[in-house]
Amino acid sequence: MKRSRVPLVATVAMLVFFYLPIMVLVINSFNASRFGSTWEGWSLRWYLRLLHEREIWYALKNSLIIAFGASFVSVLIGTAAAFALHRYASRLQKTHYAMIFAPLVMPEILMGIGLLLFFVALGVNLGLFTIFLAHVTFCISYVAMVVLGRLQDFDFSIIEAAQDLGANWWTVTWRVLVPLLMPGIVAGGLLAFTLSIDDFVITFFVAGPGSTTLPIRIYSMIKHGSPPLINALSTILLVVTFTAVWFSQRLMEDAK
Amino acid sequence: MANGEFLEFEDVSKYFGRIRAVDGVSLSVRKGEFFSLLGPSGCGKTTLLRILAGFERPDTGRVLLNGRDITALPPHERKVNTIFQSYALFPHLTVRENIAFGLRIEKRPKKEIAEEVERMLVLIQMEDQAEKYPDKISGGQKQRVAIARALIKKPQVLLLDEPLAALDLKLRQRMLMELDLIHDEVGITFLYVTHDQGEAMSLSDRIAVMNGGIIEQVGTPGEIYEAPRSSFVAAFIGDTNFFEGRVAEVVGGEYSRLVIDGFPEVLCFNDKHISVGNPVYLSIRPEKFHISREKPETGNRHNVVQARVEDVIYQGLMTRYWVRSGEYRISVARQHSRFLLDETPIRWDEDVWISWHADDGYMLERYSESDEKLVSLPPENIGEVNGEGNGAA
Amino acid sequence: MKNRRSVLEILVTLPSALWLAIFFLVPTVVVMAIAFKPTNPYGGVGTGWTVATWLSLGNPSYPAILWRTLWLSLLTTAASIVFAVPVGYYLARIRKRWRQFLLLLIIVPFWTSFLIRIFAWKVLLHPDGFIKKGLVFLHLAGDGASLLYNPWAVLLVMIYSYVPFAVLPIYAAAERFDFQLIEAARDLGAKQWQSFLKVFLPGIRRGLLTAVLMVFIPALGSYLIPDLVGGPDSEMIGNKIAQRVFVDRNLPHASALSSLLTLAVLLPMTVVLFLPGRRGRPDLMAGEGK
Repeated sequence: MKRSRVPLVATVAMLVFFYLPIMVLVINSFNASRFGSTWEGWSLRWYLRLLHEREIWYALKNSLIIAFGASFVSVLIGTAAAFALHRYASRLQKTHYAMIFAPLVMPEILMGIGLLLFFVALGVNLGLFTIFLAHVTFCISYVAMVVLGRLQDFDFSIIEAAQDLGANWWTVTWRVLVPLLMPGIVAGGLLAFTLSIDDFVITFFVAGPGSTTLPIRIYSMIKHGSPPLINALSTILLVVTFTAVWFSQRLMEDAK
Repeated sequence: MANGEFLEFEDVSKYFGRIRAVDGVSLSVRKGEFFSLLGPSGCGKTTLLRILAGFERPDTGRVLLNGRDITALPPHERKVNTIFQSYALFPHLTVRENIAFGLRIEKRPKKEIAEEVERMLVLIQMEDQAEKYPDKISGGQKQRVAIARALIKKPQVLLLDEPLAALDLKLRQRMLMELDLIHDEVGITFLYVTHDQGEAMSLSDRIAVMNGGIIEQVGTPGEIYEAPRSSFVAAFIGDTNFFEGRVAEVVGGEYSRLVIDGFPEVLCFNDKHISVGNPVYLSIRPEKFHISREKPETGNRHNVVQARVEDVIYQGLMTRYWVRSGEYRISVARQHSRFLLDETPIRWDEDVWISWHADDGYMLERYSESDEKLVSLPPENIGEVNGEGNGAA
Repeated sequence: MKNRRSVLEILVTLPSALWLAIFFLVPTVVVMAIAFKPTNPYGGVGTGWTVATWLSLGNPSYPAILWRTLWLSLLTTAASIVFAVPVGYYLARIRKRWRQFLLLLIIVPFWTSFLIRIFAWKVLLHPDGFIKKGLVFLHLAGDGASLLYNPWAVLLVMIYSYVPFAVLPIYAAAERFDFQLIEAARDLGAKQWQSFLKVFLPGIRRGLLTAVLMVFIPALGSYLIPDLVGGPDSEMIGNKIAQRVFVDRNLPHASALSSLLTLAVLLPMTVVLFLPGRRGRPDLMAGEGK
């Protein structure tokens, strides 16, 4: 039976579509020219220049603080949520699931303005702490979904076997459940970390003076700054995320 | 064409990478015949079926249907239809819509489609289930819908790919009879693929036994059971014992005397061209043996061997004994025709005599040692259970 | 035992439920409430209640923006589905190792910064970029034409950004699709395209519906894309919200617009949530990605 070539062609086209802009960006980051339009030979000057951009380093520090904090807290909360969703089939969990799911599709701008007005109404000063709270909020859902995905093919008779062998609730959790779910938890944490460090829209709404994060810095560079510098910075970030994704996928695969 | 070959495979081969799924198969099927392809999984039977359906293109050879070369035709242009192992009913369509699918594709008039579907629903006795979706009906009903969906196209050949494999035993037996009835009723050629020798034996006019991409033997169920040509056929169909020997004497063409290590000389029916000194392999089915405590009085065409019982398994309908004689562990099956409780049963470790008629041993043309694994033997030690010895029971 | 179990359930449900109630549900309600508040001269929220803000949405510039938001989102959704269906089909049919690799290739860019990806398009479509130069060279575009800062650039980058949201659910549905059904259809006389339309598409209809919503909902709320690659004639509702917040500091107005968007989003979202998938949940998470 002959198979159509359309699916293959579409897939190749999609990959080209995805990677063409990224490749151009990466190549341009090594372009000595100040303007991306002409090629003036390979150069690392933009990377070296980055070293002297103190504002970028400052923004990076903020981003890292938030990303570590937000991913840690959201992993704790998200994993518990995933467990609840998987283990119980009550009406409570239906509502719970809707609550976890909604932030995934809700346009970011709505979450951003909601949190902004909420903080303003409460009189909270906008800053790193409000960004942290906002990031945890959207990371919980992603972590919960990733861990839930792992739980779907988790054999719960293992827990019963452990109980049968005399393990109590505490032992089951820490000796059986957590180690087996570790790959999912780490993958969820990595996702939360990258989402947090990449987020612009929500952060933009709840950021205050002095709490510039890396994406906010990049945004103002795009609006006003020098393109070659953004190219170089973007390339570094791309390498970091690609490595993180590769690593988390390896984790998920090894566990299977 | 009346009596001749209706469906022909000519030297058909299909390779998947380096694997020869089908290896130079030539086969002909007669019109109206119930023909089975029987073999273990991976023997190429399903590939052969898919070649006929048009899902695979053979690498060599041709397929002829009613004298016409259909090798290159796409599936939708062939007058053959398939019953898939999983039934492949369309989950988004009702029973009625599933059955109507083929005719709707042909753009037949609505009224005609409705009538035909109704006729099919009556045939499979599912008039009152017509509006249900496939996930709301039972396995047996799905099976019938799949049959109706294929038959409504009035195919020249109906292909059945292990259609009963997904059903439980009781249902399987019922569907077996239903299939037989349907075949009698519609009178078209059935090509039936199965790994279950019981199904093949009870349904088929003829069977092709396949192994490793080739056809080992084609024949009626009786021929295949009673006169297996190869050790594979002997072991795969039913159960058997293999013996290795040499020809000592050819007795008047009809019989030969064989030397088998550890046995007295054995008389055996001979329909092969062999001469003194040739190595031979003998297959004797467990139920062909007689087993007794006393040495039996027998005619001159009988062989008698002394043995020791190693294992006894009572199976209700019969008792199975494993006895050792020389280096052979022999499987013996004994039907119970009398009330068993009245006699003193033969037990473990007893010395017994086993005997068989010379006509009941069958000499094999081809022998492969690996086929012995298909024969059921009890393990020698505990722990061997999952290894060999539980092949084709 | 029964009692113990429900205590555990509360224990593991509470943290996330509470957090999301405080930082997700309450803010959403606050937005709706503030939409009915008057402004005060200091860029804050006044006291009392009013519907004046809502009435001012009748202002002629809004219907145009709402309409543009809608058609850009619909076109994005349609293009993403058309693009994603063959890809999902392809992914489901190929060998597992190869499939995992391709899936990874499709997911990875979307773990990378949204900003950077939009910026990459900005570079690509730049008046001095090679696409523009190529088009001019081929006389397909005039020297003065701009590839950036128009609704088509917005549409292109939106498709780029949202297509994976369509690929993942469609792939997930296709992967669970029994491809023997296609053989069955061919066997019953259907041509290739007939088996695709009559068997494959109905077979993945749940995935299709999920994909539509997963693209359409976020597309409605697009803000960054029109902000960076669009011009004044390509603003969407998200841009207006941001303007009201950051430029005019008119929070009630921003809230009214947000409420409108929330309602527009809520409607299709309820559909996804109550669409039973495997285990009564939407079929989204096959790729476990964003």
